[in-house]
Amino acid sequence: MNYFEVFALPRRLGLDADDLQRRFYELSRRHHPDFHQAAPPEAQARALEASALVNAAYRTLRDPIARVEYLLCLEEGRAAGDGADVKPAAPPALLAEMFEIQAALEEARSGGLDAAARATLAAQRARLLERSRDAERRLTGPLARAWDEGPEADRPCVLAACREALATRAYLRTVIQDLSRALGEDEESSVSNRRH
Amino acid sequence: MAYSDKVVDHYNNPRNVGSFTRDTPGVGTGLVGAPECGDVMKLQIKVDVDTGVIEDARFKTFGCGSAIASSSLATEWLKGKTLDEAAKIKNTDIVNELKLPPVKIHCSVLAEDAIKAALADYREKWAAKAADAAS
Repeated sequence: MNYFEVFALPRRLGLDADDLQRRFYELSRRHHPDFHQAAPPEAQARALEASALVNAAYRTLRDPIARVEYLLCLEEGRAAGDGADVKPAAPPALLAEMFEIQAALEEARSGGLDAAARATLAAQRARLLERSRDAERRLTGPLARAWDEGPEADRPCVLAACREALATRAYLRTVIQDLSRALGEDEESSVSNRRH
Repeated sequence: MAYSDKVVDHYNNPRNVGSFTRDTPGVGTGLVGAPECGDVMKLQIKVDVDTGVIEDARFKTFGCGSAIASSSLATEWLKGKTLDEAAKIKNTDIVNELKLPPVKIHCSVLAEDAIKAALADYREKWAAKAADAAS
């Protein structure tokens, strides 16, 4: 059962957060292991499993960006989180830009960060942050609407555009974090994309 | 996670770091990246246009130790190879040589992609000119 089916929802990107929360509470109550303590062990195990699925489904679908990522996984027939064999879809111009920024960052680091270098890096970070938010707005706005309301024939294009926006956002977030770290303002906890 | 000795060696003493200017005759450039971890890898080959043999290779990678080691190793292997031989380098060769763990296999994939991109860029830019010169 996929996460949309868990909540008996259609595979759409636009969804009502309050409605989703209501459905989540209802299913949580129904499957919560505490309410099945008197049941036979197999039923308890089933309740635990169902409860874990409901939690995972809610965590994913309530976040509009995670929702797009999940939809892509579903449409491409992959398991969630299994991205290893998927080709990165970052546009070449962005790659070149990321390379330039990393090179500049490395140079700034090796020269010791004076006030001017710090100001440059901070300004750059602000610009990149705005672009990352831009990618998010594109995903949750026009692209979500195109998926939900556009003609069926456009869907492969919409998914490709989503993939590119997600890749762009992932890249920008990593570089933003590298910049933050160089500036001594690490925001590790707020960003999930990390190098291992 | 513990890196293998070979990864540590390539990380501490990366071979062939640097770049050729893009318009140097016979230079092919591959720029690839992995959005999931933010790595960016630039790999360049310098080919003897007459013989089709890779004379020299350079790389610059922003990423984790395994990504740096994978591209460093790739440049070592590329030198002295023909274009066809270079195209046969597989990410699994890199995995075996560096003993990369499963979570780092994507770094070797990135290096293979970079080799392919550099070869394609060379062909696009210089192969036609080499053919012209030969005729």
